[in-house]
Amino acid sequence: MILIDSPVANTANIARALRAAGATIELSRDPDVVARAGKLVLPGVGSFAAARAWLAQSGIDSAITTAVERNAFLLGICVGHQLLFDVSYEHGETRGLGLIRGSIRRIDGPLPVPQIGWNRVRGKEAILFDGIADGTSFYFVNSYAARDADNEIAAAEYNGRFTAAVQRERVFGVQFHPEKSSAAGLRVLRNFVQCN
Amino acid sequence: MQLIPSLDLLDGKVVRLTHGDFATARVYGEPEQVLDALDVPRGSRLHVVDLEGSRRGRPIESDVVRRLASRELIVQVGGGIRSLEDAQRWLDCGAQRLVVGTVAAESPALLESLVNAFGATRIIPAIDVRDGVVRTDGWERASSSSLAEIFARLESLGIDEALVTDISRDGALRGPSFTLYRELRALTRVRLIASGGVSTISDAVSLSRLGNVSGCVIGKALLEKRLDLAQAQARVATPNAIPERVIPCLDVRDGRVVKGVSFEQIRDAGDPVECAMRYETEGADELVLLDISATDRATETALDTVRRVADALFIPLTVGGGVRTIDDFRALLRAGADRVAINTAALRRPELIRECAEEFGVQAVVLSCDARGGFAAVRGGKELTDVDAVEWCVRAEQLGAGEILLTSVDRDGTSSGFDIELLRAVSSRLQIGVIASGGAGNLTHFRDAIESGGARAVLAASLFHDRVLTVGDVKQYLAAEGIPIR
Repeated sequence: MILIDSPVANTANIARALRAAGATIELSRDPDVVARAGKLVLPGVGSFAAARAWLAQSGIDSAITTAVERNAFLLGICVGHQLLFDVSYEHGETRGLGLIRGSIRRIDGPLPVPQIGWNRVRGKEAILFDGIADGTSFYFVNSYAARDADNEIAAAEYNGRFTAAVQRERVFGVQFHPEKSSAAGLRVLRNFVQCN
Repeated sequence: MQLIPSLDLLDGKVVRLTHGDFATARVYGEPEQVLDALDVPRGSRLHVVDLEGSRRGRPIESDVVRRLASRELIVQVGGGIRSLEDAQRWLDCGAQRLVVGTVAAESPALLESLVNAFGATRIIPAIDVRDGVVRTDGWERASSSSLAEIFARLESLGIDEALVTDISRDGALRGPSFTLYRELRALTRVRLIASGGVSTISDAVSLSRLGNVSGCVIGKALLEKRLDLAQAQARVATPNAIPERVIPCLDVRDGRVVKGVSFEQIRDAGDPVECAMRYETEGADELVLLDISATDRATETALDTVRRVADALFIPLTVGGGVRTIDDFRALLRAGADRVAINTAALRRPELIRECAEEFGVQAVVLSCDARGGFAAVRGGKELTDVDAVEWCVRAEQLGAGEILLTSVDRDGTSSGFDIELLRAVSSRLQIGVIASGGAGNLTHFRDAIESGGARAVLAASLFHDRVLTVGDVKQYLAAEGIPIR
């Protein structure tokens, strides 16, 4: 498993959590290594545009696409999840990787933005949530999210319903931070680690 | 739960009295102007009180009620209903429900005839309570009936809703009497319309969580624009949307957990990593680690402790203590903190909050405010400033703080309960969350900090270290009290 070593991410925390979930991981920012990976994790925090710019500049974006075409499993986390989509409207308009249909928009409403905290996640049967009760809480830090994505497997409510997790074949994304979501978060990671 | 804007009428104008005293009347204007200013949507329920009618014992403001009812509002009117004729007169004006006070407490026969004539759903008995005693007649006399007797009578008449006002709280913006409504939940199946003291969105959310409160009358807080009706309605629609958090705190000095009373008389309480892991297992939603040595001596030991704790922890970690510069902030994030709390340095140079928020995002910035006697204290509570604690928290939000960790230094280590007034004063002014800290001694303290204080998280140290309570105990209790937890 390759953990993409983005400078616009909290890779150390995710690496620790993946190891705790049973993964043997290697950090890499080499497009050749990423393109050949059987399993990829794409982390990300902060600004969508900054994270996207690094992917383009490093050539990791086409490496990810290549890996997915070669049937690799991919998990995007937080901004890494948002990068899977077609487009984000955070500070203007930025194209994403286009692996998941839909757009990322600000979650404005009566509750303060960013959302910082635990929130209940409800969804349908999905391999990523195997062994996790519907309505389990996960930890979120976000100002932006997808709403009603086509490939949505789980949703949560914050200023309205938003997409908490997606899956399209072998491509997965979670808007929450599994590495900060205690036992439930580690279980999500373990479910991904055990995909084959 | 419905939010019901309330208009008290006197001489055709909207007014407010304090503690029911006519001499204190403050005039807000014509009813229509006031409703437009408040943006009360069509179809809303509206509570109208005829103050002069209440005093004289007959309807006075019938013209105003007729005008309001014609605006597609569901008007419930109270004041001066002492006979079937009075009641009929209000209904003829377009009122849909009648709020009857004195009658409910003192004239059971008349209440029964009102129910028989107009139906139980049209009649809302109003019960005014002061210190557990029912009051009547414009609050001027005590009733001979107890709450239990009155509610037994209402149930037997098939009454569905009763308006219950704790008049010692009315208009005083001190918050509703959750204790009274909870007491009544055990006493009666009648659903309650809460009235008196609702001054924040959090008050309304807390009332709706009680389960037996079907409506909430809001007067002064709306008129004085302390509360936005649309925003409150959105929050009350899903009162359990966001789980509240329980946060154990590790006060760390030289790599060991310590605990003192009012920041002094320090004693050893264990290894931080062991404590942190135990708390996560018990269900802690987050961990706060405050390095209390660092304000005196900046230490590499502190960073090392953070690294060790972060390595063992899979919940969010907030670290504070000794953060003077943006570089200190960054070093703690690199060591594994998710959020960093700043205190002394921010008071000395408030721009630090903005700089950190711009560099690391508002979610990473926690303003730690140690309040002592209403003022912000620095250097671990040892040194008092002349900065008003509440105003400082308001300013910190404007500068970009993502959350406030509000510690009452006066209460810290005393087990006498969180400082609810301080919490209300701060939380009612902010959009961002407040973590209540200082004074936790028993389970009800945690509930009250959230329910009455408006805190979005509750923090304790010695209580958890000493295993007086576990994090699990607190979460189980909060859930049983209707407060959402994860």
